[in-house]
Amino acid sequence: MNLFKKLTICASLVAVLLPTVSSADKLDDVIKKGELNCGVVLDFPPMGYFDKDNKPLGFDVDYCNDLAKALGVKSNVLNLTWSDRIPSLVSGKTDVVIGSTSDTLERAKSVGFTYPYFIFKFQVFSKNKIASFDDLKGLKVGAALGTTYETEYLAYAKKHGWGKDNYTAFKSENDAFLGLFQGKIDAIITTNTNIATKLQTKEFKDFSAGPFVPNYDDVVGLIAKRSEVSWINYLNLFLIHQIRDGNMNKHYNTHFGADAPADLIQALRDNK
Amino acid sequence: MDYQFHWNTVFQKMPEMLEGAFVTLHVSILSMLIGIVIAVFLAIVKMNQIKPFSYISSVWIEISRNTPALFQIYMAYFGLGAFGIHLSPYVAVLSALIFVNAGYLAETFRGGFQSIPKTQYSASKSLGMTNFQSYWYIILPQMFRRIYHPMTNQFVWSILMSSLGILVGMSELSGETQRLQSLSFRTLEFFMVAAVMYYIITKFVLISASLISRRLFKGEI
Repeated sequence: MNLFKKLTICASLVAVLLPTVSSADKLDDVIKKGELNCGVVLDFPPMGYFDKDNKPLGFDVDYCNDLAKALGVKSNVLNLTWSDRIPSLVSGKTDVVIGSTSDTLERAKSVGFTYPYFIFKFQVFSKNKIASFDDLKGLKVGAALGTTYETEYLAYAKKHGWGKDNYTAFKSENDAFLGLFQGKIDAIITTNTNIATKLQTKEFKDFSAGPFVPNYDDVVGLIAKRSEVSWINYLNLFLIHQIRDGNMNKHYNTHFGADAPADLIQALRDNK
Repeated sequence: MDYQFHWNTVFQKMPEMLEGAFVTLHVSILSMLIGIVIAVFLAIVKMNQIKPFSYISSVWIEISRNTPALFQIYMAYFGLGAFGIHLSPYVAVLSALIFVNAGYLAETFRGGFQSIPKTQYSASKSLGMTNFQSYWYIILPQMFRRIYHPMTNQFVWSILMSSLGILVGMSELSGETQRLQSLSFRTLEFFMVAAVMYYIITKFVLISASLISRRLFKGEI
């Protein structure tokens, strides 16, 4: 048998065997690899941000570390923008994204969602106090590109005939706050948690939190590749344990300075 | 690859993507037209050492050619914003593109001017033409004929660079694509369609440019 034939046989053997070898799922992969690549949006305090030593910190980062600890692997936190979240999963750069992802049915056609792990309210933030959401009519409003509050505002604006002309999208959460600070826009829409953090900084202490976006709770989950069902099962159990073992409340306390509200915990337990 | 394509999600949003494509075409054409006018001025003052304009022209050309377009767009939007000058995303991107186009084209034009024999200037002067007349009737038509192709390259560049408008939230083709993909997370499909649309836009511009050149220059180029 000449060398070429041997090689061909080897190649075909490998081709036959490979699919069975690679059928190990994400959960196995992560454990074998010994490392969890966890995507977090790090310009979204207090869920994810950099401390003054440029180290990632926040509620989501704590969840990453807890998850890695549960799996017995090393935690590797990767910084993402809102719009990097899905590409990072598809390209395999991240194993899971803990990045406050709103669990819309439209998105669930593309990625796999876990149970909810947090619930936000969307709120208006501005220099001059704004009393009701309808007062935004005619004001220049901004939000971060590709977020659910952008979608919610645009839908509301469309319904009330305000049009898109007064709306400005920003590449990131930080840029939206910068735009507001510079006076490019009159108000931004973001989450209540982010506003609470920003109010404590000296740049924004004179600004005020306004009305909530009407009739909307932003329920967010972890996301992973849609096909990794057993991995998502594991993540779901992990989230249940975070509440049951008191980790959720502990991290809430660290980052929000109070115990997690009972209705938040109950809503998460009920998966709604 | 275990990825399933959902193309119909993209096709449902086609009108919005086309709207974005229109803005892209719009901003690049406008930036090109204004850029050409400024570039002619910059090239002429730099060549003839007309002070103080030649200093302005040198600085303009140096900065625009040696700093990234991304930086210029950011400066036009957030940089000027720090001084209380608030441009809309559209105006910020448009002015940044004009700035770069003018800088690059000025150097192209200068090369074009210098390739025209000095005798052409002298001949027009001897016919009693003013400076303006000799440029308008004799020099510029010949110059544009020579630099026509580098100029179309610059045009393609501005179409592609207008995608940086996404940085400041402009709803051109990239910005619109970004927004739409965030609703459904069908990132790959949306960006592939956007790439095809960019290809069509640039091809459209290149083909129209060559048609126009045939008509203007009667095939002598």
